[in-house]
Amino acid sequence: MKGLKYQLKSIRRDKMCILTFLLPVIVGIAINLLSGVSFQSMGETAFGVLENNISADTVEWLQSNGTVTQYETLDELREAVNNPSTQMIGVLQTGNAIQTFLSGDELEVNRRIADTLPQIYENRIEQLSLDKTIIPVKTDNNEGLKSLLIVLALVTAMFMGCTFNAMNIISEKEDGIEFINQVLPTTTKSYVVQKMLLGFIGGSVSTIVTAFICLRIEAVQILPFLLIVLFSAYISALIGLFIGYFSNGLMVGIVYIKIVMILFLAPPIFFYLTVPDNSIIFILSYLIPSSATFEGIMNLANGSTTIAFKDIFVLVVHCIFWFLTYLLISERQKNRYN
Amino acid sequence: MWRGFSHLLKKDFKLMLSSKFFLLALISLVLYSCYINFVYVNLDQEMYPVYLYDPQDKLSVTSEYITKIDSREAVETACADQYSVGFDFSADKPELYMLSSGLETTDHYRMVWGEAVINGNVDGQAGVIGTNNKEMKNRREITAEFLFFELSAVGFLGLASMLFKEKQMGVIRVHGILPVRRSMFILSKLLLLLVSDLMFTSLLTVINLGVPYAIDVLPEVLLQAGILSLIMTLVGFFCAIRLPDFKQFSLFYLVLAVFVTTPVFLAGQTGIAWDWIVYHPMYHLFEAMKAAYFSTPMVEAPYYLICFGAIILLFLLVYQTLNCEMAKEG
Repeated sequence: MKGLKYQLKSIRRDKMCILTFLLPVIVGIAINLLSGVSFQSMGETAFGVLENNISADTVEWLQSNGTVTQYETLDELREAVNNPSTQMIGVLQTGNAIQTFLSGDELEVNRRIADTLPQIYENRIEQLSLDKTIIPVKTDNNEGLKSLLIVLALVTAMFMGCTFNAMNIISEKEDGIEFINQVLPTTTKSYVVQKMLLGFIGGSVSTIVTAFICLRIEAVQILPFLLIVLFSAYISALIGLFIGYFSNGLMVGIVYIKIVMILFLAPPIFFYLTVPDNSIIFILSYLIPSSATFEGIMNLANGSTTIAFKDIFVLVVHCIFWFLTYLLISERQKNRYN
Repeated sequence: MWRGFSHLLKKDFKLMLSSKFFLLALISLVLYSCYINFVYVNLDQEMYPVYLYDPQDKLSVTSEYITKIDSREAVETACADQYSVGFDFSADKPELYMLSSGLETTDHYRMVWGEAVINGNVDGQAGVIGTNNKEMKNRREITAEFLFFELSAVGFLGLASMLFKEKQMGVIRVHGILPVRRSMFILSKLLLLLVSDLMFTSLLTVINLGVPYAIDVLPEVLLQAGILSLIMTLVGFFCAIRLPDFKQFSLFYLVLAVFVTTPVFLAGQTGIAWDWIVYHPMYHLFEAMKAAYFSTPMVEAPYYLICFGAIILLFLLVYQTLNCEMAKEG
């Protein structure tokens, strides 16, 4: 307990460290302030048209299928279509028909839309008589990207525990405190507990505050959410210990942190966006702890609490596995010193 | 004086070697290239699939877009992804079944698309005005982004780790009495980092674009990389002299990375229109880098003048700060 007091005392002086934990909170506020409108247009098909070339009816028809941007000259339109960061389809009208063009680097879906649009436009009136059943979804996809960003901010917040722990241990190593610790009558257990607690508490608090700002959680979801946060912050703090253990200089430590951060943040998003729920790759993605965290919070945000318990179970397995691995490694190191 | 400079260079090079600077750049290079070649180039989004349940074979149209399935439940399961469109022709009146994607226009288009497929109205070919295919575009785009990220990181962090080590060893204090110009102290580091950044740029470009494409874009890319590298190294130099220790520096860097690079990436990759982004200095550097990779002429003389001015100003600022620091150290 006394050790912990000293640890706290040492970070109190470190303003930057407090700032790291505040960072996700600030990002959370920023995401919250961003209006949904700027995100909404992203999922839609984008059409670009020439102002004087196109009839009001056609614009209206295009607008029912996506966003329409009007340009004054053909050059401007071509430039916008050619811009690699957009997926815009250029639409020109001649008489009753339309022609489409694109830059050729678009996603498959947009290429197909551009190819088939003129014929679909031509036959827009002739409709088969159909019963249409469109099931509305609970979550608005308008919020989809926003909730993705929020979950990302939360996972980053948990990751802060790792960064903090790793930096803390490495700088102690550089200052030679590691050797002093070996002489001091502290046990490995109390050392690990003290080091972990700081990152763990910081990460958890930062995540919970961020969640409080951005997420609307129902009462039944509070318990599973807390469990996910606590287990994930624990794993992240533990990873911080691993990094601290394996790196022998600040620069090396930073690179490890960078690699772990990429591994921590990129795969969950990638799997979430591209891989269907029941494939083998999706199940394999649970080998990365942050995937379980990410899926868990996403499930909670989408309102499916029961599925989230599966993610919590995976997290518990991760906690036990990584803790045992750490014990094993530090035990081996101890034997080497003796 | 030049002898002193060459010794400084040698010393800085050794320092970079011992801080595993090159090894780390190499690891980053491998990591990025693997990601680009195995993951990013394959990213795509397929056309909305159409699932058809037609036990009595009422529909005569066959199309590459239609997948036939054999029960109503299968239609509902297939459409659970909020992306596919399902048709049930088992009843008297055919039924279109789908889950809303949450976007009104996308839902409308999916319906229109489903009907067009069922009616067989999906022929045609759009005109192509660009020169890149999707793979080449992906390669150029992501290489530009990784390079931007890495250059703003490596120069900045690499220099700081060297400088802090020197600070700890008291090298700055020793320099105060050495017969070497202070500008040399800055220049030698700047030169080494510039050269290593340019090498990194060349390797990353050649590996990920392929030799013929890389040769086309390299001159322009190297110019932009040089500008970015010089600016970031000088900023790193300034911060490293000012901040008391490396830990604080790296945390400060984290803050900077999140707020400087993230909005730039978002604006660059998704085409989100943010009016204020033009006031973000890094955005212009990023756009210039991207334009270099896509060989689009968009960079003009004022941009280079401002960059040049910024580099000179930063150099003077660093020089002044170093002077102050040496005076402080006695």
